[in-house]
Amino acid sequence: MDGSIRSVTIAPPARSPVRVTSLHVFCAVLLVAVLARPLLTDALSAPVLRTAATVFVAVCVQAIPFLVFGVLLSGLIAAFVSPAALRRVLPSRPAVAVPVAGAAGLVLPGCECASVPVARRLIGQGVPDAAALTFLLAAPAINPVVLVATAVAFPGEPRMVLARFLGSLATACVLGWLWQRLGRVEWIAERARRAAPAVSGRGRWAVLAETARHDLVSAGGFLVVGALTAATLSVLVPPAWMDALAGQIVLAVGVMAVLAVVLALCSEADAFVAASLSMLPLLPRLVFLVVGPAVDVKLIALQAGTFGRAFALRFAPATFVVAVLCAVGAGLAVLP
Amino acid sequence: MRRDTQHVLLVLLGGALLRIAADDTYLRYVRPSHRWLLIGAGAVIVVLAVVALVRDRVAAVPHGPDHDHAGAERHVPWLLLVPVLVIALVAPPALGADAVSRAGPANAVVQAADAFPALPDGPVDLTVGEFVARAAWDTTGSLDGREVVLTGFAVRRGAATDLARMTIACCAADARPNRVRLVGDLGDVAPDTWLRVVGSVQPGSATAATGYVPAMTVTAATTIPAPPDPYEY
Repeated sequence: MDGSIRSVTIAPPARSPVRVTSLHVFCAVLLVAVLARPLLTDALSAPVLRTAATVFVAVCVQAIPFLVFGVLLSGLIAAFVSPAALRRVLPSRPAVAVPVAGAAGLVLPGCECASVPVARRLIGQGVPDAAALTFLLAAPAINPVVLVATAVAFPGEPRMVLARFLGSLATACVLGWLWQRLGRVEWIAERARRAAPAVSGRGRWAVLAETARHDLVSAGGFLVVGALTAATLSVLVPPAWMDALAGQIVLAVGVMAVLAVVLALCSEADAFVAASLSMLPLLPRLVFLVVGPAVDVKLIALQAGTFGRAFALRFAPATFVVAVLCAVGAGLAVLP
Repeated sequence: MRRDTQHVLLVLLGGALLRIAADDTYLRYVRPSHRWLLIGAGAVIVVLAVVALVRDRVAAVPHGPDHDHAGAERHVPWLLLVPVLVIALVAPPALGADAVSRAGPANAVVQAADAFPALPDGPVDLTVGEFVARAAWDTTGSLDGREVVLTGFAVRRGAATDLARMTIACCAADARPNRVRLVGDLGDVAPDTWLRVVGSVQPGSATAATGYVPAMTVTAATTIPAPPDPYEY
């Protein structure tokens, strides 16, 4: 089996001396960009574009280290954790494996960008789809860093931490069980299922490096799509929305859920933004915290790139609905 | 995209992260503690790319494209070039007056306490965030009658000038502004000019009616160069 080195075993078409390759295009793009620099700087001198450009770079720069962490973890799993070992760890009944995968999310201290490549690798190594997707949703939402950040952001409201934990864990498990009942194998792109080649000794390090590099290139482009979307929306969404919401709880829940999707904040920072929206009651802010790490524009782009468009088209809306319902449920049960 | 093009792209991406972490540029986008994350990530990306370059050379691998994605998705890795180019050619500045105006005229303040520790004697340097929090919530009136020094940038409020500073938790995407209304003769100050102002709070000015924007009677204001660290945390 040729596994992840498939890409290097495909012979290139016969090359003539004048064939234009992507490396030539690449150099041309760089050259044009450098020559057109004054034009670029001019174009970005409009205040609104400058603000959007800063937000774009900030989202990229903030997310890439976590993505790198995720692809390294993905490489480690590919190289050192065999499918058989994973099967031994996870309960064999998927209905039980789902909450176990959800609880496993407690230990991955990253934001959502890290969990996408890891979940993909788990699927590639034979973990049931439902369990891997539960992990995908749980890891960025309920890890200790996020819970501590939430406690720091809401100093007077310790119940907010509990409500966030319950709402996010419930979202992850409900979606896992839903996927197990209704999900179809073909909704996840075949490329996400390819297992890494089984190797031993020094070959393992090669698999680690190649898996991490490959995952980084394929996921990184989609992260940029997400960052561009988030930057555009952040300057387009009128802040006056907030002021209009103060007395209308149902509308506020809806708008905060949509805002969580379009702003694409890191799950370790969203609590501070939610805390600052003090004109709103706690419930809509809880919805913001539960929806954000589960589904946002950056994640939708990453998931479409990793698992395929057919997957993202179904998974993202389902996650949105389930997350809103779970957050409202947890809020009504726990919050004062 | 061919494998060798991907390698070059990754080297540039890692290089861009290392470049902004090498001086104060990264402070425009993320909080100071992220510097080590950026250096680590940049180094890992460069190493992954160089390892792959060397291995491809040694194994004489053909430069075929990755046949992983179908159709238009094959071209998505090209987008990684966008942050590289924006960082290398433009390096957008920290969020300023435009972002503050966009966030509306009110302060989004969190009530963390209703009694604050007493301030040290003499004129005291405060962050804009702490000044606003004390002005809005402190029931002990620790600011009243005290001379304070604030550093921030100018933002227009109609014909008047506010002093503002962004607070970030993680990166500039989650920035939220704190504004202070400046009362006094400041002359004509252009937006985004960095100021160091001395003055004292007008007690009771930061209420729900004013959007928790305190007013400050200014006794002295000097224009200063932008500080390396543009945000508060």
